[in-house]
Amino acid sequence: MSETLTHAGDPAHDRTVSGVAIRLEGVTKRYPGQSEPAVDAVDLEIAAGETVMFVGPSGCGKTTLLKMLNRLIEPSGGKIFLGDEDVTGQDPDQLRRRIGYVIQAGGLFPHMTVGTNIGLVPGMLKWDRKRIAERIDELLDLVGLDPEVYRDRFPKELSGGQQQRVGVARALAADPPVLLMDEPFGAVDPITRQRLQDELLRIQEELGKTIVFVTHDFDEAVKLGDRIVVFDVGARVVQYDTPEAILAEPAEDYVADFVGAGATLKQLTLTRVGDTGLHTPVTAAAGEDSAAVVTRATAAGEQYVVVTDGRGRPISWPSVAELTRTTTVPATRDERLPVVGLRSTLNDALDTMLAASQGGVVVTGRRDAVAGVLVVEQVMAAIQSTRGETRG
Amino acid sequence: MWQYLLDRRELIAFQAYQHVSLVVQCVVLATVLAVGLAVLSYRSARVTSLANSVSAIGLTIPSFALLGLLLAPFGFGITPAVVAVVFYAALPVLRNALVGLSGVDQSLVESARGIGMSRLTTLRRVELPLAWPVILAGVRVSTQMVMGIAAVAAYVLGPGLGSLIFSGLSRLGGANALNATLVGTIAIVLLALVLDVVLVLVGRLTTSRGIRV
Amino acid sequence: MTAAVDLAVTAPETVEPGGRRDGVAWRGLLVQPALIVVVAVAFVVWRSTATLTDAEARPLGWSALGGSILDHLQLVAVAAVVVLAVGIPLGVLLTRGPFRRASPLVLGVANTGQAAPAIGLFVLLATWLGFGFGSAVVALVLYSVLPVLRNTMVGLQGVDARLVEAGRGMGMSALAVLLRVELPLAVPVVLSGVRTALVLLVGTATLATFIDGGGLGLLITTGINLNLDTLLYSGALLVALLALAVDWVGRVVETLARPKGL
Repeated sequence: MSETLTHAGDPAHDRTVSGVAIRLEGVTKRYPGQSEPAVDAVDLEIAAGETVMFVGPSGCGKTTLLKMLNRLIEPSGGKIFLGDEDVTGQDPDQLRRRIGYVIQAGGLFPHMTVGTNIGLVPGMLKWDRKRIAERIDELLDLVGLDPEVYRDRFPKELSGGQQQRVGVARALAADPPVLLMDEPFGAVDPITRQRLQDELLRIQEELGKTIVFVTHDFDEAVKLGDRIVVFDVGARVVQYDTPEAILAEPAEDYVADFVGAGATLKQLTLTRVGDTGLHTPVTAAAGEDSAAVVTRATAAGEQYVVVTDGRGRPISWPSVAELTRTTTVPATRDERLPVVGLRSTLNDALDTMLAASQGGVVVTGRRDAVAGVLVVEQVMAAIQSTRGETRG
Repeated sequence: MWQYLLDRRELIAFQAYQHVSLVVQCVVLATVLAVGLAVLSYRSARVTSLANSVSAIGLTIPSFALLGLLLAPFGFGITPAVVAVVFYAALPVLRNALVGLSGVDQSLVESARGIGMSRLTTLRRVELPLAWPVILAGVRVSTQMVMGIAAVAAYVLGPGLGSLIFSGLSRLGGANALNATLVGTIAIVLLALVLDVVLVLVGRLTTSRGIRV
Repeated sequence: MTAAVDLAVTAPETVEPGGRRDGVAWRGLLVQPALIVVVAVAFVVWRSTATLTDAEARPLGWSALGGSILDHLQLVAVAAVVVLAVGIPLGVLLTRGPFRRASPLVLGVANTGQAAPAIGLFVLLATWLGFGFGSAVVALVLYSVLPVLRNTMVGLQGVDARLVEAGRGMGMSALAVLLRVELPLAVPVVLSGVRTALVLLVGTATLATFIDGGGLGLLITTGINLNLDTLLYSGALLVALLALAVDWVGRVVETLARPKGL
């Protein structure tokens, strides 16, 4: 594919952009002894601040292409631009310090603490110690881990999901304009994966990096991507468009096959939780007087109350009846509390409800604070309406 | 050197035979002893840890020192050589047998007991066969190690190729001294390689195909 | 020839590449020095009270005994320095770039080299370089460099390739990845190889006496040749104690140097 693919217009988001554009011109990788190039003259333009998902069958060259962006694999030909700067000839080590890189399971160094791991790149860039320490805390906070608790822990003392968060924090440490992610969420369980995806969407909302993300999961691509690149063998770009457009009009039969059947329900993965009319619940802080909360809830006509911790993050979702049996609102954290983010899809919300056997989910926004609740009836209504649309 | 080999081929062959025979017999005896000990001790964490320590400490004792210590009770001859070689050969096998036996999946042992196998049958039909590759790895280590130890044992008049090396040493500078040492040393390395190959074959033949890697 | 082998590496099935879990490890670390001290004190008491013949008393005099121990330690120390200075860099080199192809071959030689009888090596070197301290050190180095070389290579190869890639991917130079990621993670395996080599050295140095290299082996050979059991026992006992002591120091260092977080 030699024609340069570009896209006019912004994908309808007014948001901060701290990323830079990436442009590939005829990027090629040949391995000695192989007749066909692994990556064959790819031209691609990625707009600043966009999340672009690379999908395609295994062995199609998408990971090779990603690794050529930070020159872990040296291209055999072609040019790579960051912004207007040709980085093809730049010293790879210097280049990589400006590009965040996240791999499966985070790739954390097991013999260094979480803080040391995050501070590595700033250290190589000769930041002073105080600034590094501040940056570590800031980033841990950003990925939703309490710095006091996690800064001095070793990776093995963290769950898989937490390790992956630290991996993202480490990649963001020196505030690079570009983030490369190589199947980062491939090794975690579905529920954790969904939370990590929500987290990434939230972070991206705040930062507006240019993200290139390799995945083999088309649902993940639809959920996270502003645009999706579908590759075939030799990293041939088959289609490069928004998720909506790819779902609606697959460019070739190959893409239609890859996207998979059940495209109607796929539309569910296109609707964000935040785009539905969320219900605003009655909230209560842990430790508050129960009687006052019960009065408040009754006045609002609510049967359930969302209990939050000191930072407005949900910890449990008791019924009014349960609260009347207590004097102060309990601070116990319900580990099975169903939570999704504003940018989660309706599909995620439904999955989470089913996994928790609950009729609703708590929706969180910035810094994991409560943004509303979504009940199963709303999801069903959305399904009904999409079915109506496709029929009509 | 070729002439040297031709002239003394019978003596060298005899000594090589003695060397291998000493090593093989000792390793077999050591394996039986070590696996027996491991079977007796692997069910208790305390005894296992003790046996592991004994094995680790025993391996640090220099063989020449142990041979010396054994001379007084047993005098010169084959006995101290055999005792020392069996001692060293048993240690790696013991350690690996413990690791292998305690590494057997407990759910397999339970299901064996569950279908009515006695403790002894479970050990014989389930645990030992599953631990066997690990035990055999220990036997290989032992064999390599005691090939060299047996050479030192020649100093206390044990049999084997070590006596070629020592005779070379005693006549250093004289005719054939270098040849004797060289032949002794190389023959030991070659025989060790041969024995290792044999053990790998034994492993192929005695390991269940279901767990072969 | 001595008996110490690094089982952890030779037999991949054996667990504990460098030691056990903390609690057990420290308990084990206390038993060993206690044993060494008790036996050493018993030896000193015996030596001070026993009546010895002239032939026995001379090599067992305190200064002569101290000299033998020092000679022995000197052999071990000189050889150990050379072994570390050669083994570790060579091990690192053999896992880099174009040399990587040679590593299976080197590992194979390192594994079979174990069967080579040390005594043969001593004698061959003596015929080539002459009798004395120098030849003994060369023989010792040749014999004990293998575990250090092998464990350095195995330790570095054992480092998760994805971590190396993560390091390169965040802009660390190849040298920085080696120093800050690969070597620290390989430390437990490398150190266990170093300990194995040191214990080997203590034991093998007894054979130096056969080529006039000095050391505690002299007590043993003299004891055997002159049929003096006290000399034989003293020599054997002291070498065993020394080996155990070196092994213990090695274990302590391994426990202390193990990277936290592993």
